Amino acid sequence: MPELLEVRDAVAGYGGGPAILDGAALTVREGQIECMIGPNGAGKSTLLKAIVGILPLRKGEIRFRGERIDGLQPHEILRKGICFVPQERALFPRMTVRENLRMGGYVLEDRGELERRIDDVLGRFPILRERASQLAGTLSGGQQQMLSMARTLIVRPTLVMLDEPSLGLAPMIVVQMFEIIGMLRAEGITVLLVEQNALMGLRHADWGVVLDLGRTLFEGPAAEILADPRIQDLYLGRRSRAA
Amino acid sequence: MKTAGRSAAGAGDVAAVVAARREMNQRLASTRREGRSWGFAIGCLLVLAALPLLQFAGNFNYVLHMALYTFMYIAMASAWNIVGGYTGYISLGHNVFFGIGGYFSGMILASAGISTLITAPAAGAVAAVFGFLVGLVTLRVRGPSFIISSIALLMIARILFDNWDYVGGSNGLSVPLSTLPVEWAKLPYFYAMLVIAVLSIAASYRIKHSKFGLGLRALSQDEVKAESAGINTKLYKVAAFAISAFFVGMAGAVWGEYLTYIRPNIFLIILVAANMVLMCILGGKGTVTGPIVGAILLIAFNEFFVAYFGASELNILGTGVIMLLALMFFPLGIVGTLARQGRLPRFLDWD
Amino acid sequence: MSDALQILILGITLGGVYALMASGLTLIFGVMRIVNLAHPIMIICGAYVAYWLFNLYRVDPILAMPVAAVFMFGVGLVLYQLVFAKEAASAKYSEMTVLLTFAVALVLDGFLGALFSNTQRVTTPPYATDAIVIGDLFIPTAQLYAGLISIALIGALVVFLQFTRMGYAIRATTQNRTAAALLGVNVGFISLVTFAIGVALAGAAGALVSFVFSFFPAKHWEWIAVLMSLVVLGGMGKLMGTIVGAFALSIVAAFVGTYAGATWSTITFFLALFLVLLIRPQGLFGDPIESA
Repeated sequence: MPELLEVRDAVAGYGGGPAILDGAALTVREGQIECMIGPNGAGKSTLLKAIVGILPLRKGEIRFRGERIDGLQPHEILRKGICFVPQERALFPRMTVRENLRMGGYVLEDRGELERRIDDVLGRFPILRERASQLAGTLSGGQQQMLSMARTLIVRPTLVMLDEPSLGLAPMIVVQMFEIIGMLRAEGITVLLVEQNALMGLRHADWGVVLDLGRTLFEGPAAEILADPRIQDLYLGRRSRAA
Repeated sequence: MKTAGRSAAGAGDVAAVVAARREMNQRLASTRREGRSWGFAIGCLLVLAALPLLQFAGNFNYVLHMALYTFMYIAMASAWNIVGGYTGYISLGHNVFFGIGGYFSGMILASAGISTLITAPAAGAVAAVFGFLVGLVTLRVRGPSFIISSIALLMIARILFDNWDYVGGSNGLSVPLSTLPVEWAKLPYFYAMLVIAVLSIAASYRIKHSKFGLGLRALSQDEVKAESAGINTKLYKVAAFAISAFFVGMAGAVWGEYLTYIRPNIFLIILVAANMVLMCILGGKGTVTGPIVGAILLIAFNEFFVAYFGASELNILGTGVIMLLALMFFPLGIVGTLARQGRLPRFLDWD
Repeated sequence: MSDALQILILGITLGGVYALMASGLTLIFGVMRIVNLAHPIMIICGAYVAYWLFNLYRVDPILAMPVAAVFMFGVGLVLYQLVFAKEAASAKYSEMTVLLTFAVALVLDGFLGALFSNTQRVTTPPYATDAIVIGDLFIPTAQLYAGLISIALIGALVVFLQFTRMGYAIRATTQNRTAAALLGVNVGFISLVTFAIGVALAGAAGALVSFVFSFFPAKHWEWIAVLMSLVVLGGMGKLMGTIVGAFALSIVAAFVGTYAGATWSTITFFLALFLVLLIRPQGLFGDPIESA
């Protein structure tokens, strides 16, 4: 049985510039929360963008349930069941919270079902329900992040990819973020997240991937990665003790 | 825990990862040439300065005229490049300064008889002041709005000068012809334009290699980040605009006397600005030698076109087509494309 | 007093026409961030379509309007695919595309000039020189009809944007292109269609304008500045702003034109632009700009 998402030998870059991704690989298993860590410029966001089709792949392949998806446009990839929440949150600032949720269900054919799901989501996020008619651009950072993540529930994807969901958020809000991620997993949604905050990210994940220099250096159960002294030294900022 | 199968960066060795990182950073750093071909530059200048000697061999008025015309556009394109190329603000009405310089010096010449060769720097200064004041207003907005404001500025100037009787309205100003004998009549203007062109290129070169130029480049890429890095973006932008206006104004002053008339439908038509822009695009926006290459190419093409098809609407069509092709297939211009491919010859590499 | 009312009506009807002329421009900018400097020359293309239909086949310009619109829609599709589709994906987006539209404007200008020369043209249906007289008021029918039809068309445009699925997608793409793409909007297709619609609007406006103003290829430079000023005034990409701005400025320009002469009437638009840049750079309805 093929894995949910498989990336092999990915090479990609911006414009005509140098390759940011240089042979990156990734495996995502269904039902898991997978966390990708690595330093700035390693290519984590680039990899997510390549998967979702915003950035073209120069070499390599990406397979979703065994089917190749590299080269598809973002709107086609969404229809396959992959949802992406970028760092910039991708909200429509001049639409209300409710309208943003409605846009979240753009690909749904049944308008009645869409309205039902919107009501369901608003029910689960009381903070959003209070602000249902408020313009999304006026929400706080944490509320915007909540909205973009809640929006993924409308379309009920198979895989949700989050690019640095905790970026710029207060620690207490970050805790809420990871609760929402747990909520997604409870819905049966697989989560792939990129986290600058490696400690938090790996603590909440089942599986971990370390990306550096455009390549995958380490992969394994999140707890093992957290405990590995080499990882601690390179990415978690702890001096390695002499063996 | 397994390490990823295809990783080549030393399976798990910390020191190897650090070393690999350093190597990658070095690879990404750009290579820069050492040393400029000063010999070539000085050689060119000497040849150009000696060009009028041809007059001893026969009537080469046409050659001198074309050279003069080319120097003028080299000066203006280079000046435009400071704003459009280095700072990233596309001005499609830049010849408003051309008109201001031309009219200023023209009025002085017509009423007091002082040659533009003397008043040109003053004309440039007037244009620069005007550019500074206008820039304070128009440079507050980014890209598209700024472009529109530059066109609107040109239109306002055109309408104003067309209706201002003091400067001759739509008939413009006439200034006295030169009293020199025909073979040498072009000489003063030839050298004046050559000097202005050299000054303009020199300014462009010095700016590019200065802290000022670095700041301009920063703000052309991300103004907000440049501002938060401590660069006074407002001052930098407006200063670049004013400096650019200075050279365009000087060129306008000298051209006015050379033509012996200054009219709105010559100085203030958008085609002049379009030419400036196109020359920079063809040659390479943001490079030092780009505007020079572009100017020479475009003028050569124009002459060829007019010779075969006659001056007409087709001229506008031709300019448009070249611009379209250049933008679609050579957006970096000749110098830019060669540089990107690493094939830029030394005599063109002054960046 | 009836003088003022007279001028007001003149301003309003012209405002409607200018609003229509500028609406396609705003729409294209909103979705693709392209300032289409070729928009005015496309209006003139539409005017030529109406002109030749009128002079060759006696087709009333108002009836020629849908023909011009459909024709220009096709032109827009082809133009987008040939010239702009490639740019849509690249980084140096805004600058280069503006220059591209400038080049297209030059090409169309030269092409029309070579084909039809620079003689001034105007279509002359019977109502072009008529007027409706109500008491002291003298309302030229040309402007009135053009104004009313323009307002109707803009209304249709607004309805389309607010209530259809595609209009919804267009509005989303205007606000956040990446987000729209990630939510399933085919932004490439939307850009193509929006561009074609914008050009079609230009064509329709051209047919109407053909009996209101006299035109020739080089006239588009004058309109560029006027229409662009409207778009900046209203707030780049904000349709409502453009419409309000068009009416407001046309009324002011009508008064200026009557009391100070026609030349100053045109300058009104440009001066308003500079005033806006000075006081409120983002325009009436625009989003605030981050830094000065």
